[in-house]
Amino acid sequence: MLPLTPFLVAVGLMLVIGLSCLMVKRDMVRLLIGVEILFNAANLCFIALSTQTPGYVDPFAHSVVMMAIVLDGTVIAVGLAMVLNVYKHYKTLDIRKLRRLKW
Amino acid sequence: MVGQEIIAHGSHLPLPLMVLLLGGITMLLIGLLNERIKIPWLREAWMVIVATAALGSVYLLHQQLKTVPSKIIVLVLWGQSPPLGGCFEIDTLSIFMSGSITFLVFLVALYSINYMEKESRLTEFYTLVTFMAAGMTGIVMAGDFFTLFIFWELMSLSSYVLVAFLKESWGPIEAGFKYLLMSATAGAFLLLSMSFLYGMTGTLNFAQLAASLRGVPISPWLIVLFSALIIGFGVKSAIVPLHTWLPDAHPEAPSPISALLSGIVIETGLYAMTRVLFTIFEPSFFKLAIALLAVLTMTLANVMALLQNDIKRLLAYSSIAQIGYMLVGLAAGTAYGVMGLFLHILNHSLMKGMAFLSSGSIAHEAKTRDIRNLRGVGRMMPITSLTLFIALLGLGGVPGTNGFISKFILFNSAIGSGMTWLAVAGVLNSALSMAYYLRVMKTLIGSPDEGFKVNEVAPLMVAVTLVMAGLIVVLGLWPAPAISFATKASETLVNGLNTYIRAVLG
Repeated sequence: MLPLTPFLVAVGLMLVIGLSCLMVKRDMVRLLIGVEILFNAANLCFIALSTQTPGYVDPFAHSVVMMAIVLDGTVIAVGLAMVLNVYKHYKTLDIRKLRRLKW
Repeated sequence: MVGQEIIAHGSHLPLPLMVLLLGGITMLLIGLLNERIKIPWLREAWMVIVATAALGSVYLLHQQLKTVPSKIIVLVLWGQSPPLGGCFEIDTLSIFMSGSITFLVFLVALYSINYMEKESRLTEFYTLVTFMAAGMTGIVMAGDFFTLFIFWELMSLSSYVLVAFLKESWGPIEAGFKYLLMSATAGAFLLLSMSFLYGMTGTLNFAQLAASLRGVPISPWLIVLFSALIIGFGVKSAIVPLHTWLPDAHPEAPSPISALLSGIVIETGLYAMTRVLFTIFEPSFFKLAIALLAVLTMTLANVMALLQNDIKRLLAYSSIAQIGYMLVGLAAGTAYGVMGLFLHILNHSLMKGMAFLSSGSIAHEAKTRDIRNLRGVGRMMPITSLTLFIALLGLGGVPGTNGFISKFILFNSAIGSGMTWLAVAGVLNSALSMAYYLRVMKTLIGSPDEGFKVNEVAPLMVAVTLVMAGLIVVLGLWPAPAISFATKASETLVNGLNTYIRAVLG
């Protein structure tokens, strides 16, 4: 049984990094990387918690995480396709230039 | 009671879900046929057939459940029995929600035939619509959190692409990227809340979560879990601090998709939130927080809707306000309040679906969505405008329409659970909302400018909106069947939790 606290601290740090990346960064690809960091924080939390049953590692969490990795991969793929289309229209990857829709 | 706990077991996908997933896959082949061999209307006809089949299979499931109201069908997915593997659990509430979903998808499929005929890439369009419907049906039938998450992402992915479908102009792309970024972040928080639930109980099955988490003393971890859940579900169902994607995404999507998104997708998010909150927490735990969110949601959305000049954007803000009214029922926390919530979901899917379809017809003919340029359209498109008027009156809650019935139940339930201030806020907001609905009507029946000419849209589009208008009035004047069905549905959620737990855990 691994100690839980270091993993939960890492999850918290990844959450902070992912959210601040979403708030601070201007580049759209980096925003998607921020989303990916958030997803991986959740995945890490799953894996860390699966080691807490005494005696064995619960395989249920692993199957959930495998599917979650596939799902967030597809989300990021669709996001990158949209970034390509944004670049065609705006000729920039700066999210702050996308300000035509307001209110 | 004897005879109340009859459970049917099986190990296949629920029938409506099977129909929609197979229909979505075969749609690609059908579309190929349509393009290569040039058989006209093949895709459209196939879409209508798939939607009809889905509606019919929901009816079959309903017949299966009808004899015993609290019966639950458990369908095992991954080979393991429920607490370990994934499963589907179909009760009256699932039937109620999937009935609303497939009915709206059916009407939208009929409407899109004429509306989308000039667009290219229609095969992708219909495939995505089918998969979005499949995702929503999967969410309402999911029996564990993980199955819910998979179908949640299926629904979300299809809706991201559908919002950005008209990629030749900048609006849909910008709205779509905003929607994707916010919704994907919410998905990450949903996964995080799942991991907390897993860490607390060692399972993700709803029945086992209910058995092990309900009634535990409030701890800081429970509050963290609650906030992660609110963020995760709140972005999809557009609760106010998290709503900013909606007024961009819904107007920029093609009108049939706006009708689906506003009519049922955000409500599916609300359904998932209601199901999970009622399963995990006692109502007294989340009452006050949800009540505050409800007041915030409806007030801000109504004030913002007053400022809009774009008709579809106005309707999008009105959707947020309606989510606020629905949250009143959740905040009441009683079976009566939840009944109002689900009745309002059904009514709102008809009213807002139709409002978007009719305003889509108007925007399609007049080539503008700006209310200031639509003066006099009502004189040239009388039937479409009439249906739009009925939808707007229903959204405002005028007696005689179904919106009045469900709003009355919602505000009544708030008084019943001792939150009179919430009901007062709701009634004041309803009155405020009439201001912008009446503004749209006044503009539409004004006298047109010189040389401004539009024609009535294709008969099928008019027929779809007329059917929905008829249903709004009928359900407003004779609400008994809908109310009794919604009552049964909410009873299974609020009072039938023990049956639910026994049905799954045996």
